[in-house]
Amino acid sequence: MQKRILAVDDSLSMRMLLRASLTSAGYEVAEAEDGRAALDWLENNEPTLVITDINMPRLDGFGLIAELRAQERFRDMPILVLTTESSPEKKARARDAGATGWIVKPFDPEKLTVAVRRVMH
Amino acid sequence: MSPDDIQSIFFQECEEGLASAETALMAIKAGEHDGETINTIFRAVHSIKGGAGAFGFNPLQAFTHHFETLLDKVRDGELSLTPPLVELLMGAFDVLADHVTAIRGEGDQPDDAAMEQALRDALTAAPAAVPVAAPVVPELSFDLAAMMAELAAPADVPAQDWRVAFTPAAGDLAHGSEPLLLMRELAALGGQVVRADADRVPTLDGFDPDAAYMGWTLRLPAAADRALIEEVFDFVADPASVTIERAAFDESAVAVPAPTPVLQSPPAAPAAPTVAEPPAVQAPPAAKPAKVAAGATIRVDLEKLDRLVDLVGELVITQSMLSQRLVSNGLAAVEELADLDQLTRELQDSAMAIRAQPVKSVFSRVPRIVRELEASTGKRVQIEVEGEATELDKTVIERIGEPLTHLVRNCVDHGIELPADRLAKGKPAEGRLRLSAEHKGSRIVISVSDDGAGIDRERVLAIAAERGIVPADARLSDEEIDQLIFAPGFSTAREVSNISGRGVGMDVVRQNVQALGGRITIQSRPGEGSSFALALPLTLAIVDGMVVSVGDQTYIIPLTHIVESLRPERGQVQSTGLGNRVLNVRGSFLPVLGIGDQLGLSGTVSEPSEGVLIVVETESAGSAILMVDAIIDQRQVVIKSLETHYQQVEGVAGATILGDGRVALILDVEGLVGLRAPMPLRCAS
Repeated sequence: MQKRILAVDDSLSMRMLLRASLTSAGYEVAEAEDGRAALDWLENNEPTLVITDINMPRLDGFGLIAELRAQERFRDMPILVLTTESSPEKKARARDAGATGWIVKPFDPEKLTVAVRRVMH
Repeated sequence: MSPDDIQSIFFQECEEGLASAETALMAIKAGEHDGETINTIFRAVHSIKGGAGAFGFNPLQAFTHHFETLLDKVRDGELSLTPPLVELLMGAFDVLADHVTAIRGEGDQPDDAAMEQALRDALTAAPAAVPVAAPVVPELSFDLAAMMAELAAPADVPAQDWRVAFTPAAGDLAHGSEPLLLMRELAALGGQVVRADADRVPTLDGFDPDAAYMGWTLRLPAAADRALIEEVFDFVADPASVTIERAAFDESAVAVPAPTPVLQSPPAAPAAPTVAEPPAVQAPPAAKPAKVAAGATIRVDLEKLDRLVDLVGELVITQSMLSQRLVSNGLAAVEELADLDQLTRELQDSAMAIRAQPVKSVFSRVPRIVRELEASTGKRVQIEVEGEATELDKTVIERIGEPLTHLVRNCVDHGIELPADRLAKGKPAEGRLRLSAEHKGSRIVISVSDDGAGIDRERVLAIAAERGIVPADARLSDEEIDQLIFAPGFSTAREVSNISGRGVGMDVVRQNVQALGGRITIQSRPGEGSSFALALPLTLAIVDGMVVSVGDQTYIIPLTHIVESLRPERGQVQSTGLGNRVLNVRGSFLPVLGIGDQLGLSGTVSEPSEGVLIVVETESAGSAILMVDAIIDQRQVVIKSLETHYQQVEGVAGATILGDGRVALILDVEGLVGLRAPMPLRCAS
């Protein structure tokens, strides 16, 4: 079965870039424009992986991860954080929130798929 | 979707981001802000930075990085929003806007060195005295000690193999981490497991399937790149659980039986078996396809939209033909007819609404223009905005920016007085510039008003006379004088204005507005200010027209050109020879053009007193009178392009289909009146 990835970012161009890279790597991609929209979508869907931005309106990446980790269904789903920051503090914060890993923006498509494969089961 | 498409989406996002950031900045300046306001700016700058990096706009990325760092401090409360800081943010915003213009290829790369330094300075001024931001986006963090150790290692000693020890803490395997995947990657780098430490695995009754109990030691070849090994562990919960060092291996240790089985089967501590299995609970992708797009908006190709609007236009026409047919067959009382009529109208409105955008996108440019004007003129202006959510057709929005900018410049440049003059007149030092947009019938009225000096009519009249626009002894009403500023060749700037001027006058503004099927009017009171009102059509697909008959033809004259219609007495229209006729309308002689003659029709009314004269005004050829046989109706018509169905015809702007199914041409008044000009020359030769 094709693996499905939910890309959460408030920037359409960023979602498009994710979609382009991931679909060419053979994944199915769904999109959400912020944490709240992601939660709505996840109510009826269960992707293999979630990739999320941190800074978003309504519900940010940290909030989204916290909400997901609180649900039994998503406790073990890999979640990658998409971030422009790579400072140890930010990484630690993402980790503490329950992120599986991170991708530093700007990403190149190859790095992205490596990172995705690294966490996909 | 090609990279270029994505890039143009990014450009659009930049504009949206700039607009929302600007609104937020304005709110901050006005003292009306909360935590979310600064967050809005932060997010906008952050998104632009992300995209700039992805698309390789390095100067933009570098600048946004500094801007973002400062905003972050403000957001965290480390810096407070003092007036100088607000000024700095505004200045940085302007530079950012210039950067965005530059990447779009619409301007030069701004020189941001000074601003960048100012942003850095502001950072160091933070009370918390935080060190200046980290270098731009380092991709990997370096273990300096390890690097030093490596450098210090004697070069002649052959490098030792890597020993990598990994002991996840009990809770580390939650959240989808999977040691097996790490092992696989290390194996790809040439790694071998030399020891699997299962000492901590408890007995079954104390066994938590979600917890991690095992640890591993691996050996990797000396040639392996440390950075690559580190990268594998980039995703591991706690870096403390990993050590990477060069080490001597006891060769016998490598002989530990069969590392491979460990690599092939999940480690002894299964990291939540449910995850490793195919996700059985996952709904099939096809089950809810409509849900995949989780966003609240979609972007649609403009061409598709236009096609929809076009089709709806056809539907409206067909519907009105149908109802006319039914009425003429005595079936006017059919109930469904009224319903259909109502539905078609609603459908048309909805289709038009899809193309509509709030005027906010145009209004939001004004504060910046005004800021620049304040700086260059020494005037002080407060902006008031009303009705920015009012929506207008996308094309109208795109083309209204320039005229609006010009009006704003005009108001600040010529209208609002210097603070000292204002105080002397008993006005507040700060001038007021008001922008508003509202629905009025089938039009949107955008107005730009100021509380400045108003039009100096004496001067306007003097200039108009000097430029030969009106006779020196002309006696004009106040309204007529005000209209003179729209006359071609009129420019009120005493010295060649570098602000309002920009090479165009108010006549160009009016021309642009009229090209959109709109009208511009002005109201001015000496000492109290001026107000410009732009009445714009809701859409370019429909025009308000006067339906007239000429011979056996029916034409539509767009209302925007029509000043009045009249029926002359016999003999009032005078001939000037060469086949030209004129009529004296309140002192000015206007040429009378028979539409039939212009378009080469026969059997039309040739005696003006038997027809109807319609006074029209044009930009290029002044006012004129069109002679038609009769006025039939006044209504909105759907514009169909003649070019796509036939070819361009001089004097004709397009066509429409009337309720009875007949095609009526929409006259291009500008062109028709212009056609007249060469005529005397032809006759003379």
